[in-house]
Parts: sequence; structure tokens; C-alpha cells
Amino acid sequence: MSESNRRSKVKPLIYGFLSFMLGFVLFLLSICLVLKFTLFSENFMLDSMANTGYYEMVKDELNDKLKNLGHASGLPDEFFDDFIKDIDIIEVERNYVSAFYTGSSTLVDTDTFKQQLLASINDYVEENNIDKEKADEKNILYLVDEASSIYVKTVTVSFFSVIANYINKLQTPLSMTLVGLVVAALVIAAIIYFTNTYKHRRYRYLTYGLGAGFLSVLVVPIVVFSSGIIPKVNIATRSLYNLFVGYFNSMFMYFWILAAILLFLTVLGFIVYRQKYLKAINS
Amino acid sequence: MMRKSKIKRRPEGGWIGFVIFPVIFSLLALSITTAMLYPYVSEFAEMSKTYFTDSDLDISADCYNIFVPAEESSVGDESKPADKNIPDVKPREQKRIPLSSVKYPYYGQRMGELIIDDCQIYTSLYFGDGNYQLNNGVGMYSGGYIPGYGKTVMIAGHNNTAFNSFKYAQKGQKVTIRTYYGTYTYEITDIQVKSSTDSSAYDFSLNYENLIMYTCYPFDELNLTPYRCFVYAKLISGPIIDKNN
Repeated sequence: MSESNRRSKVKPLIYGFLSFMLGFVLFLLSICLVLKFTLFSENFMLDSMANTGYYEMVKDELNDKLKNLGHASGLPDEFFDDFIKDIDIIEVERNYVSAFYTGSSTLVDTDTFKQQLLASINDYVEENNIDKEKADEKNILYLVDEASSIYVKTVTVSFFSVIANYINKLQTPLSMTLVGLVVAALVIAAIIYFTNTYKHRRYRYLTYGLGAGFLSVLVVPIVVFSSGIIPKVNIATRSLYNLFVGYFNSMFMYFWILAAILLFLTVLGFIVYRQKYLKAINS
Repeated sequence: MMRKSKIKRRPEGGWIGFVIFPVIFSLLALSITTAMLYPYVSEFAEMSKTYFTDSDLDISADCYNIFVPAEESSVGDESKPADKNIPDVKPREQKRIPLSSVKYPYYGQRMGELIIDDCQIYTSLYFGDGNYQLNNGVGMYSGGYIPGYGKTVMIAGHNNTAFNSFKYAQKGQKVTIRTYYGTYTYEITDIQVKSSTDSSAYDFSLNYENLIMYTCYPFDELNLTPYRCFVYAKLISGPIIDKNN
């Protein structure tokens, strides 16, 4: 076998491997990009909360739970309807979520809540001329503490503290991985582009890589949505359930978007390849 | 003479390669990624199965009603005088129903109603004593036993709503529990106020049918109270669940 023959057989293998590597890197890059803009993004969490009506539902649930407490302690439903209006759940939830992403204290401020509730109860006792014996101060403080613990449990997001711990730890490595993958993709693309003698072949191998990336990215949302696993999550409260489903549906929507971008680039690569190929044939 | 190759070379400009190669590369990439992530993800994936159900979660309904009053003929002999000191464990003329015919209720289901005429208490009875149940009636403690089982039945209610009239409860008053499998009549034997943490107020190991109803005490208090009012009752009549059948 002559040297030129051997070269002509090895070259496609090398470029095929580079195409595969490009597709693989694009796939990993897509995953990292989705994670960066969803799971690791404070704004994405806050947007999901707003879009799924989380704040309103949490407020309703808090109202219901406090009313339940009222049923056990002689306070009418109307008392909590009035009281809950003054609580700014959006502000509380925003501070709570931001605390996790910024690494500051994630304890919910209960002092304001306690003061407001105590003041409201005292007003209620005065307005209704309730006998002091029927409204023992010590027991009322116990009631306020119970209400406060309900408040904390309602406004906090289950397992968020565990997840946020990983998020904070992986924030920097993810950014570095992202940069590394972008560099790797550019280097591989540059090698394919600049080392190929024929222009149409440059686009052929680049298109192989882009196509592989597109298909790999496409598989992720297809598998997740066809399995229908997201709506089957076992969460008891309506607010958290809607947040979870809305959050992950939006997250996988990013995969569709990235897949569409890669498909567009693949088609574009194929069209350019065909043009270059026909030009090469004609010349 | 050189032999001409029989393999016809495919022209380079075809599109098939643009399908085959990306598919192969994609499968390879997915396989490698799965293999890479498997050690880290497998444990988490196994654990996360417990957080998912087989069907879409239905959180629209808080409770289901299974209460259709049983025929009144199932009521036992109420003319028999009650002995106030010795629990009437097995009234002779009481009807027996096989355990297999009684479908055990699920938590949260409305399983009957509780009536104390002398206290003007007429309320729904739920299995389980969560918020929904106590907001809509009284709740049977799911860790206890159901009426007719021959053990301790424990029922809770709020002191400001369903059980507010417990302040009028007295020994000798009749308590009626109507369920989907039979109607039971109890007689109040004792009323005691105890601490909410006093576990001597109830005993689930007793081998005779006894009813314990409790609520917060004092009544009409504007706070969470540390005391509970326990009302004890013994079975007078009602079908006995035959555990051996």
C-alpha cells in the first residue's frame, strides 16, 4: 500500500473521530448550559415561582393552615383572612431563595411575623371584649410560636437546602467546565476546518459533529417527557407540586431550544457542504 | 493485470452519511455519558423512585365519602340494662359480621357520623385526625381501632367546633356512631381532664371495646391549651367484627 493510499484511509478515520468528539462536546456543553441557566440560576428559580403561581398558593396554604390552628384555638377564619393580607410572601420567598444562592443565612425571619400576629390577637381580644381569663398571655405566646413554626414550614421549600448546598459547591466548577467545553469545541472545529484541504469536507465533518450533538441533546427531553415522570412526583402540597412540575418543564424546554439551534446549524452545514461540493465537482 | 474492484464506491455528495454518522456518534456519546454518570446517578435514581408515584398525583380531592348508613337491623339489643362498672365486652344478642366483609377505611375517608343527642353533637366521622377531618367533623385516630373490633376506639375533635358541646357531657349519656357497616351505641362512663402529654389517658392494649373521645380543654379558650378533656364510653350495642371469619 502506498503512502498516499494509507493516508487517504486514515484521514477519514481521524476526521470521523474528531466529528464524534465535536458532537460529544456539544452534547456535554448543552447539558452544562442548561444547568447553568436553570438549576444554578437564582433568576430561573424566582421566575418559576412567579410563573407557577407559587407565591399566591403559598399564601393560600399558609392561610388555610393558620385557620386550622384557629379552629383549635378559638380564632375565627376572618381573623386570619385579615392578618394574612399584611404578609408580603413574595418578599419573604425572594429573600429565602436569594440566601441560598448567595450563601448567606437561610433562616426565615419570624420576628416580624410573631410581632404582627401578637398585635393582631391583642387587637382582636380588645375589640371583642374577651375576658382576660380566656386569653391567657402565656398560652397566646404558645399559639404565636405554633403559628410561627407553621409559617416557617410553609414558606420554606422542602429539600431546597440540600440541593442548594450542592449548587453552591458546584457553581465554580460548572463555570470552569463550561469554559473548558467551549474551548474544546472551538479547537476541534478549528482543527477540522483548517486541516482539511477540500472545503466541502470541512463542512461535512463539522456537520457530522453538529448532527450528533443535535440528536444527543434531542434524546434527553424526549426520554423525560415520554416517560411522563415529572407529573408523577409525590409532593403533598399544591404549591410545591406546581413549582416542581413547572420548574422541570421549563428546564427541559431549554433542551428543545438547544436542539433546535443545533438542528439549524446542522442543516446550514449540510447546505454549505452541498454548495461547496457541487462547486468542487464543477471546477 | 490488476483486478478491478467489485465494490462500487458511493459518490461523496450523498446525504446518507449525514444521517448514519450523526446517529452512530450520538449513540456513542449517549452511551459514554451514561457510563460516566452511572456510578453517581444510579444511587440517586434508585432513591428518587420513592418520590414518584405510578400515576399522576391527584391533589384535587382531600377526602372521599364511603359512608352509606348500614341497615338499622344490625343494631343490637339496647333494652338490655348496662352495667356501669364492668365493660360489656360481648353482648349476647349482638350481631356478628365477618372481618372479611368490612372494608377497612383509608386515611381521610368519611366513614360515618357521631351523634350525642344530649349534647346536641351531630357530626361527620372521618378515619384519621388531620386538619381536613377536624375542620369538617371529628376524626378517628388511625393508629387505634374501628368500632366493633373489640378494642380501643379513639376520636378527636376541636373544642371550638364539633366537640364544643362536650361541656354538657355527663355520665350515662348515649353516644351513637353510625358507620357503613353498622351502628354502634356507647354509654359515657367517665369524663376526665388531663395533660395533653399524659399517655395514661388512653390504652390501646385493652381487649374490650371502649370509646375515648377527646378535645382541647378549657372550652371557648382563645389559645392553644395544654389540657385535654377525655370522655370515656363503653359499648352497649352494635355488630361485633368477627376476626376469625
